[in-house]
Amino acid sequence: MAGIDTGGGHGKRASNHEIPLIPFIDFLLCLVMFLLVTAVWNHMARIQADANVPGKPKDEPQDKIEKEKELHVEMTGERRFQLKWQEGTTVLNTIDVERKPVEVGDDVTYPDLTEKIQKEWAANGAHKTPADKKFDRAILHTDNSTEFSHVIAVLDSIYATKRKFDVGGGKLEDFAAFQVTFAAK
Amino acid sequence: MSGDKPLSRFHQPISTPGRRMLHHIPLNFVRKKAVGGGGRALNQDLPLVPFIDFLLCLVLFLLASFSASGELPIDKNVKLPNAQNAEDMIEAPMVAVSGTQILVDGTPAGSTRAILDANRLQKIEELAEILKNKRELWTQLHPGEKHPGNVILQVDRRVQALVVKSVFNTAAQAGYPAVSFMVGKMAKD
Repeated sequence: MAGIDTGGGHGKRASNHEIPLIPFIDFLLCLVMFLLVTAVWNHMARIQADANVPGKPKDEPQDKIEKEKELHVEMTGERRFQLKWQEGTTVLNTIDVERKPVEVGDDVTYPDLTEKIQKEWAANGAHKTPADKKFDRAILHTDNSTEFSHVIAVLDSIYATKRKFDVGGGKLEDFAAFQVTFAAK
Repeated sequence: MSGDKPLSRFHQPISTPGRRMLHHIPLNFVRKKAVGGGGRALNQDLPLVPFIDFLLCLVLFLLASFSASGELPIDKNVKLPNAQNAEDMIEAPMVAVSGTQILVDGTPAGSTRAILDANRLQKIEELAEILKNKRELWTQLHPGEKHPGNVILQVDRRVQALVVKSVFNTAAQAGYPAVSFMVGKMAKD
């Protein structure tokens, strides 16, 4: 066992002490066991979806409403996704992406869709500069029968597109380039 | 001691003290092994101080990696999907949506079967009522502060999008427009 030797010992009480290492090791092992048992290895996270869709201001005349380009992601087809850039109801551009799910364990990812959305945002995104406080909007259209795991896979693909954002003091951080909401239909 | 006295029978020659045990073993190589007269000592010291250092490091690592966000209660009937591009958790009311029912912080708030039977997007009245009550309670507890409008949905991976959209719309109408879906963290490629 470890000891503390002061080198003295001429007084009435002994100055040397033994540290009880074995009970200390037992205590540490118990602590390790407890922490291992209570540890949560599968950490939870969240994927944001925003219901704050900009509506028509009531007092403003119809012709003064600023229309922004929005990316509509349609996952209604079984074989392909459809990406549509729309300004209001006007469709500007339509792109088809083959639906190629890649299984990762129990989950599904769509790497082709991720890549296409990134390219589309680079080409057509409206809010790219770090100082821009607005974000591009993506609207997700799904079938009623689509399983939630596939919806999350598409949301994950949309959120994979990142842009730099000035969080203050000239500090730039990576943020998702799109704010996503669900189509109301 | 003289040889004439009766105690002389106890006379023993003085010899150098040494090992006595196990010396009677007749085989030479066995005796050597047993007595330990070989080159290597059989006794070993355990290096306790480095062992304690290692244990302390392990304890510190486990304590540092302990996160409150991992301690969130998850409904046992809900199997969450995983995603790569997810954010850290926040504190907000928790709505669990399993294959059969909807729960708000463990309180029943509707049935998913009813939505599927109706086969159309609908407002879930019970859920809306509970969420509104929670919002009012928050406003009373935090006077003068703006409600953040956050809600977290724990949706089972097999639940159909119709149910998800109904819950999403109900939450938004009840004053929770910032809806988040709880997912597991998937490692990035």
